[in-house]
Amino acid sequence: MDFTFSDENESFRAEVREFLDEHVSPEIVQEMRASAAGEGIGRLTRELIGKIGDRGWIGMSWPEEYGGRNADLIDQYIFEEELARARVPLNLGNFIEQAPAIMHAGTEAQKAYFLPRLVRGEVTFALGYTEPSGGADLASLKTRAVEDEDGFLINGQKVFTTRAEQSSHIYLMARTDPDVQKHKGISIFLVPMDTPGITVRPLWTLPGGRTNEVFFEDVRVPKDALLGQKNGGWYIGASALNLGRAGARRYCVYVSPFEDLLRYLREDEIGRELAADPVVQDKMAQLYCEARVAKLFTMRSLSMVRRGENPPYEISSEKVWGPEFQVRTTEAASQILGDYHQLWEGDTAPNGGSFPRQYVGAMVSTFGHGSTQVMRTAIARRGLRLPKE
Amino acid sequence: MDVLLNEDEEMIRDTARHFFDAECDTDRIRAVEDGEERIDRELWQQLAELGWLGLALPAIQGGSEAPFAQLALLVEEAGRALAPVPLHPHSVASLALADAVERDEGGSLASSVLGDAAAGECLLTWAWSERLPGVGPDSVAMRAVPDGNGWRLNGCKRFVEAYDIADYCLVAVRTDAEGAPEDGMTLLLVEAGADGVSSVAQRALGGDYHSEVDFENVYVDGDALVGQVGSGWDLARPMLERAVVLNCAMIVGATRRAAERAFDYAKERVAFGHPIGSFQAIQHLCADMITWVDGAELLTREAAWHIEQGLDAALPVAAAKSFTNERCQMVLREANQIHGGYAQVKEFDQQLWYRRAAAWSMRLGTALEHRRTVAKALGFEEVR
Repeated sequence: MDFTFSDENESFRAEVREFLDEHVSPEIVQEMRASAAGEGIGRLTRELIGKIGDRGWIGMSWPEEYGGRNADLIDQYIFEEELARARVPLNLGNFIEQAPAIMHAGTEAQKAYFLPRLVRGEVTFALGYTEPSGGADLASLKTRAVEDEDGFLINGQKVFTTRAEQSSHIYLMARTDPDVQKHKGISIFLVPMDTPGITVRPLWTLPGGRTNEVFFEDVRVPKDALLGQKNGGWYIGASALNLGRAGARRYCVYVSPFEDLLRYLREDEIGRELAADPVVQDKMAQLYCEARVAKLFTMRSLSMVRRGENPPYEISSEKVWGPEFQVRTTEAASQILGDYHQLWEGDTAPNGGSFPRQYVGAMVSTFGHGSTQVMRTAIARRGLRLPKE
Repeated sequence: MDVLLNEDEEMIRDTARHFFDAECDTDRIRAVEDGEERIDRELWQQLAELGWLGLALPAIQGGSEAPFAQLALLVEEAGRALAPVPLHPHSVASLALADAVERDEGGSLASSVLGDAAAGECLLTWAWSERLPGVGPDSVAMRAVPDGNGWRLNGCKRFVEAYDIADYCLVAVRTDAEGAPEDGMTLLLVEAGADGVSSVAQRALGGDYHSEVDFENVYVDGDALVGQVGSGWDLARPMLERAVVLNCAMIVGATRRAAERAFDYAKERVAFGHPIGSFQAIQHLCADMITWVDGAELLTREAAWHIEQGLDAALPVAAAKSFTNERCQMVLREANQIHGGYAQVKEFDQQLWYRRAAAWSMRLGTALEHRRTVAKALGFEEVR
């Protein structure tokens, strides 16, 4: 066992930190906040993404043939940690989430087109999985893609399609054969968002962000929009989700409210008075231990993936423990800070008003990318081999 | 960074698992719990022959010089097996003696005892807490006053593990009552049957015995000094950190086994025509149990690794212990819930794991005490 990072790892961390200190201005952060609130990706953000791409830090752990630099997954983890530490509200992981599936199942032409554009941030995907009829029971999806001589005709609806308004493409899961067992009639399509027939409607969310509904009405795509085998999409989707799960980004999201609360209680004048209460200190110590577990779970998954193992349940444990910890933290913060915790803005609002946003935003973690209940079932069945009913 | 076990660590873990699986069935555990002897002497001797009583001791003392994390893995396996031997107090005391010998501090008794300790011929324990239990320096009030070449001891130690079967006991005393709690402390190696010592063994929840040990004008020779006079805290602090981490390892080992027993039971036990493990209500309990015990294990290993590397371990040790104490109790509770009525039945084995792991979580500092340490390390001002 080794719980620390090597000198090389730490010097890479210093390099990233220096870069972010130099290039992340308050104006960029402001622009990214506006972007999360539905304003689209701004000019400054695009420039920053370009600079990060120039340094080879997007998709850095990919093989060189696909535009990566074969970097150790630990470097990617450190990069994500530093982005979170700098409170850069930019999820570069989202930009390239679909890349492993394209490497795995794409044609040479698809790889040549998408992969270099993904690492440069020129192509971005929204994830077209969830439908109004359900997210956890994904395989029951209803969006249809019917093949004809020219390609496929798509009709249906997706929901909670975050970043659909600012993505160049959608990674779309649709039913291509309604007459077989539900997992076996699904295909994946890589569809440009400007294809005629696609309509995006915003859904505004409590923490001040935006997600979307996306409607497909007689959307016509060519044959080469299909990724992998027709009717084989379920199995590509599953592998893409797994590869995307070993990274620091999620745990950083889970623990950031705790870090903000700790900083406020240590550094702010009112915070310090509140923290003179041993009951508050006990609660903070408890939350610290739980935050540490969230981080260690991530380090464990990363260690397993680096060893070439496919963690049977450990990533799902991260996805139960972390989000529920995040919610416990925001609830504890609300009872430590009391009246102050409600303030969205103003000089007396702790931490610039971040706490109410984190409070109403924490819930998203407990159902985004699979609810904690779905994750528990996965732990029990895949990890502990408990039987299906 | 790789938080998983390396090859050497896997080897000690697997060897120990294999050994205890083969040797330490529940009949043996029950025999000690119900018997007079309070230790499985044959098992103790086997551990000595395997070199495990001196696993982390220096070679010059008959040890194997294994890194501390490997000892923690061995102790975790002993905890998993509920091995009815005092591996914990023996390891804690002998490592403290080895520290003193390595620093070339104190009398010659420590080094002469260590070889026998590694060989299983001399059983060691240690005495810390008095009226108010805990792992801070303020738990020690017992006085030792200079007398000729040595000291006179007066006072009472509580919660001393395995005292009634030990040969020597490492005792923390005050040789100077003035100053901060960290100052004026001295460690002495006292023969368990010395004149003036009387002890009463009290049966505890885990089925073992903890002694209240009275020292009435007990004379201890200068040779019995461990470390330096007045700076006993320098040795005691790492001793307590190791004791806490090894205790966490035992709890984690036993709790994981208790959880695995519940998972197995859930696969076999049929209700309403289905194994209860197919019900989501049970599956979600099981998912939480494995997540919690994994969390305790990772914190414990991180703390053990800090100690092994010679890093400041105060925060990781306190984090591991406070989390393990509470979360492992929760895992044990859910494991009982899955077993239903059988969890309370003495002849059913589940209770053996439940009682011990729960009892171990009551030793060496409560979650509240360790969270005070965590809070301090986080930069909060101490309030008492």
